[in-house]
Amino acid sequence: MQRLKILTGALSLALLLAGSAFAVDTGSANFTTYVALGDSLTAGYSSSALAHTYQVNSYPALIYRQATGKTTGFEQPLISNPGISGLAVCNGANPPAPCGILRLAALGVSPTIVPTPGRGTPENLTLPRPYNNMAIPGQTVHQLLTQTTGGFSDVILRQTGFTQLQQGLSLKPTFVTLWIGNNDALGAAVSGIAVEGVTLTPVESFKADYTTIVGAITTAGARMAMATIPDVTSIPYVNTISRFIVNPQTGQVVRDPSGNPIPFIGPNGPLQSGDFVLLGATTEISQGRGIPTALGGSGLPLSDSSVLSAAEAAKIRDYVNSYNAIITKAASDSGSALVDINALFKGIATNGLHVGGISYSSAFLTGGLFSYDGVHPTAFGYAYIANTFIDAINDTYGGDIPPVDLYPFVFGPLPKSLAKAASGDEYLSFLFSPDARLSLLKSLGVSQAVIDGKVPHKPRPRGRH
Amino acid sequence: MGRALSIVALATLAAGPLHAAGFSIFEQGSKATGMAGAFTAQADDPSLLFYNAGGLAFVEKTDVSVGATWIRSTKADFEGAGPFPGPGYSAKQETLSEFPPHLYWVQPVTSNLKFGLGIETPFGLTTSWENPNQFAGRFLSTKASLQAFDLNPTLGWRVTPNFGIGVGALVRYSKVELNRHVPFINPFTQTVADIGALKLDADYATGYGFNVGLLHRLNESFSWGLSYRSKITVDYDGDARLTQISTGNATLDTLLSRQLPFNTKLPVKTSIDYPDQASLGLAFGLTRNLLLETDVNWMGWSSFKDVNIDFTGGATNALPDTTLEQDWEDVYSYRVGLNWTVSPASQIRLGYVYDQTPQPEEGVSPLLPDADRNGFCIGYGHTQGFRYDVGLMYLDFKKRTTNKARPSEGPFFGTYKTQAVLLGLTANF
Repeated sequence: MQRLKILTGALSLALLLAGSAFAVDTGSANFTTYVALGDSLTAGYSSSALAHTYQVNSYPALIYRQATGKTTGFEQPLISNPGISGLAVCNGANPPAPCGILRLAALGVSPTIVPTPGRGTPENLTLPRPYNNMAIPGQTVHQLLTQTTGGFSDVILRQTGFTQLQQGLSLKPTFVTLWIGNNDALGAAVSGIAVEGVTLTPVESFKADYTTIVGAITTAGARMAMATIPDVTSIPYVNTISRFIVNPQTGQVVRDPSGNPIPFIGPNGPLQSGDFVLLGATTEISQGRGIPTALGGSGLPLSDSSVLSAAEAAKIRDYVNSYNAIITKAASDSGSALVDINALFKGIATNGLHVGGISYSSAFLTGGLFSYDGVHPTAFGYAYIANTFIDAINDTYGGDIPPVDLYPFVFGPLPKSLAKAASGDEYLSFLFSPDARLSLLKSLGVSQAVIDGKVPHKPRPRGRH
Repeated sequence: MGRALSIVALATLAAGPLHAAGFSIFEQGSKATGMAGAFTAQADDPSLLFYNAGGLAFVEKTDVSVGATWIRSTKADFEGAGPFPGPGYSAKQETLSEFPPHLYWVQPVTSNLKFGLGIETPFGLTTSWENPNQFAGRFLSTKASLQAFDLNPTLGWRVTPNFGIGVGALVRYSKVELNRHVPFINPFTQTVADIGALKLDADYATGYGFNVGLLHRLNESFSWGLSYRSKITVDYDGDARLTQISTGNATLDTLLSRQLPFNTKLPVKTSIDYPDQASLGLAFGLTRNLLLETDVNWMGWSSFKDVNIDFTGGATNALPDTTLEQDWEDVYSYRVGLNWTVSPASQIRLGYVYDQTPQPEEGVSPLLPDADRNGFCIGYGHTQGFRYDVGLMYLDFKKRTTNKARPSEGPFFGTYKTQAVLLGLTANF
């Protein structure tokens, strides 16, 4: 209340002090026309859906507000609450409910995460120009250059026949942020299947496409900030569930008579050190898969798409490192700001993140940084990412753009529909619903063939010889 | 036992808002306070036991002083900055009145050997934020208080008619209380909820040290003094208590109560290394009635590094150990005082002190926001009949802005602005 009064006071004072009260020093970066290019992370996708509440606080919207002091002029393809999830069925005119953002329905012995009933509709579909936030959930580097229809691009590119890059550049931007490439590797991690050309973009083709994009933006005369891609094992979707079987009643790891913890059974036998059980495996686990019959399970192994093996994780990490080397070089070659999101996520996974004595972490549900899909950030997470961009932009362009005020993201309130009370349990026996998993995979650009399991079950050898 | 109790009663008065660099209280006698503490080379009333034990050598008759300093913070405000708690956020500390006392007895034994006993309150601190349940810094601190007082028996030896030394023992009694809230990410709202109020109470513990002083009264128009008080470590035993705060979700509350030791005594140990300090003073008799003293005072605050809070209650009655990083630096303060003898019965004093903060920018937090400060003093002494001294100090803290954070705490950025008034009153018998 006291805060509100002060804000009101400050506002009226600012109005008294005349028109240009909010002149922000952006250094040699010019935010007159700012365009954000990217994927779901740039679109403000959270809890497996694109929804108004999160879009208005997408990191590009926050950067624009901080860099210009204005709240209008940055147009986004807003979708009314409860948003639209990535589910294919939700793209139709009469989708079956529910299609909204994921919510935590209950904790307790069997905590469940399910889509919110209902479906949002586009609120800004008739804007007579391209959006400033052109990011399209699910897009890869190549799709940013080439895709014109399908999935979320239908409500963002609006069937104009022009790509994300073409529409963004048609606005003659003075500044562009580019965070693309997540879906060139993340889909492999989240689907548990790492196959070059299917879920992993070949490095050479990544390089060619990325260089083309940066070249086009540079030629158009815009200054840039570009962001690296996080390590796949730094997200809760990958690192939440232990490879050992946990008794959901006690929260304790189940041990054999000699005291050793018992691992889940994966597609290649008992899980080994370095293997990850994905959050999407919870449905199978609840059906007894991956659990020996002696422990009351079905004895069937977890499916390939529920497990990210150590070898797969290492392979994806290799690709991500190669992509990040390309991004880093492109940034230094073009004199752009480099926003090292990979370093940020790694730091959080190791040390957590602290604000005013509050500890955030990459823990699922109680870490505060990742939303209910285990991949995309919470509103707080996006605000923190906006500040990471702003720091890098200030460093490179010599400006003094103020950081986003984290207070409302720390304390809320978020919409009441999210805060529905239920019972709870901290332990990791989540039921991540099949719908939730499907929606997430779609948003990450994972092809239907991979989702349907119509790719080789085991990654092909790397083919060195 | 009786004495111990009264000592404790005295010391409970001794907390104060921040008023001398760090949490030292240099106002231990109203005559000295009137001259901003520039008293090392005078040391000519019983408060010499604090300011310079060398002065004890020159005591010629039994003298007793009793007094206190009324410390009133007139302003202790905080204005937020981005990213947290953000511009437009503001908060206030409670404006507190505190009365750190001082009590001295000096007694000649022979013509050259003198004895003294002092009770001083050399350290003290209270920070208490208004509306602690809403204060944005409540996960760092809602209220902190520290009280310390010294029992200081001293011997003085007059080596030559104008050179004296003094040596004393310091027995420090101290207690500490820390309060903060404990945050948790509510998985339903994905925002921060308060789940408990943590109070840490460390009852009186004792530490030992010593002090020495030299005073050389060269002639009517010049004297110099040197005083040193040693570093003292106090090891505290105490109890913490985590009182559960409802998140508004009964099942979540139940779950948390199964995992955290709410509402029980949690034994803790902690320790504070109090700094040593040294003062050098030069006093000049400008005229028969006008005396000027200049002092430089050094405090070894680099002793104040980490405050480790160790929970010793085993697996069940404990929380994770924490460390409050401080990493303070040694600092100097500069003092100048003037004493004008108006008549045989009355003196008027003026003083000024510039006091540096020992606290690095990343350590400035709601627990203990310190700043450089200027102190302006005026005093009066009645030196015949009923003898008493009055000293008044207006202490203006420079604005202290922090834009640096310790990684373990994260940003709590903004500007602290503090002012205080100190009124010392000492009666001499």
